[in-house]
Amino acid sequence: MTSACAKPVALATLVEYWLGELDEAAEGAVEEHLFGCGECAASAQAVAELAGGIRTLVGKGLVQAVVTDGFVRGAAERGLRVREYTVARNGSVNCTIAPEDDLLIARLEAPLEGVEHVDLVMLDTHGKGLERIRDIPFNPLSASVLVASRTDYVRALSKQTSQMRLVAIEGQGERVIGEYTFNHTPWPAQ
Amino acid sequence: MNDRLDPAQLDDADLARRIAAANPAGDATAEAELYRRLAPRVRFYGLRHLRDEQAAADLVQQVLMMTLERLRSGKLRKPEMLASFVLGMCRMVVLELRRTHSRRERLLHTFADDVPMADPQLMPRLDHERLLRCLEGLPEREKSVLVMTFYDDRAAREVARELNVSEANVRVIRHRGLQRLRDCVTEGTAP
Repeated sequence: MTSACAKPVALATLVEYWLGELDEAAEGAVEEHLFGCGECAASAQAVAELAGGIRTLVGKGLVQAVVTDGFVRGAAERGLRVREYTVARNGSVNCTIAPEDDLLIARLEAPLEGVEHVDLVMLDTHGKGLERIRDIPFNPLSASVLVASRTDYVRALSKQTSQMRLVAIEGQGERVIGEYTFNHTPWPAQ
Repeated sequence: MNDRLDPAQLDDADLARRIAAANPAGDATAEAELYRRLAPRVRFYGLRHLRDEQAAADLVQQVLMMTLERLRSGKLRKPEMLASFVLGMCRMVVLELRRTHSRRERLLHTFADDVPMADPQLMPRLDHERLLRCLEGLPEREKSVLVMTFYDDRAAREVARELNVSEANVRVIRHRGLQRLRDCVTEGTAP
């Protein structure tokens, strides 16, 4: 019989439990509750399913996201094949993606100290803006921004040039931090 | 009378009592209902502590076969303590799984034909295409924090260090992002 829980475990607590952030006593209390409460157990399973789903999508290279060195290291340690291109500020790189690559990372070198907000702009072959990703996360001390691209999109591209641009948002205005050119060549067909 | 009610209408303790009372003939319907309820909870516990789908599935098999054996043999004296009993078994088996695989193999060999197998239909299944659409719709900070957190199940402290922001900030972004993602996936709302 499934009855409504009188004192449901908060989503934030379920996430903290899942990530091992609770102390031993709090963890034990959550576990006691989950084993006796179908409603909260279902919520906890939903957290696990979302976490597993994100892991699956990332592992298949299907998520475009701004990431960090630690994330890339972790992916490699999990056995993902990572292809990474470092692009100097206002520089260019010849790039491709192999059939066996799981993750494609662009490391955009940029002076970020003192910068508070950054937008990432994707430009097409003609320099036309395709997408503006506002307020990306970055570490001002790292001197680079790491962008994971969707591998299925990149695999479908023909030979072409595209660009990324980092823009600092300062008060009411903005300033281009750097532009990065990608000369893409498809992996040769077998 | 509890034995006339549909097992799905019983609470966990009454279900346990019904299984115990059905000995020796057994009550397959009540046992299946108990399994349906407890398997996802045990699996979640296994995923949390073992971080491995197969190991979690093994845990479900072992814990539930031991639970049913106890109930059938009338050795679970306080059915109202079923949840605590199952949790205790989970803790014990996880410790054992970490130490050795031999007991698992022995138990599976002994009882494998005697308990229901984990039914994939019992486990929630996520629509990955929908999840991806919802994830892509999140603000970049939320998406990044969720990806960095859940790809490798990393605590806020680690993610915060890499982004050079406070742990509290990561927790806020993570919570907001997960709430939006969950609502989008389950209710179809825009993230």
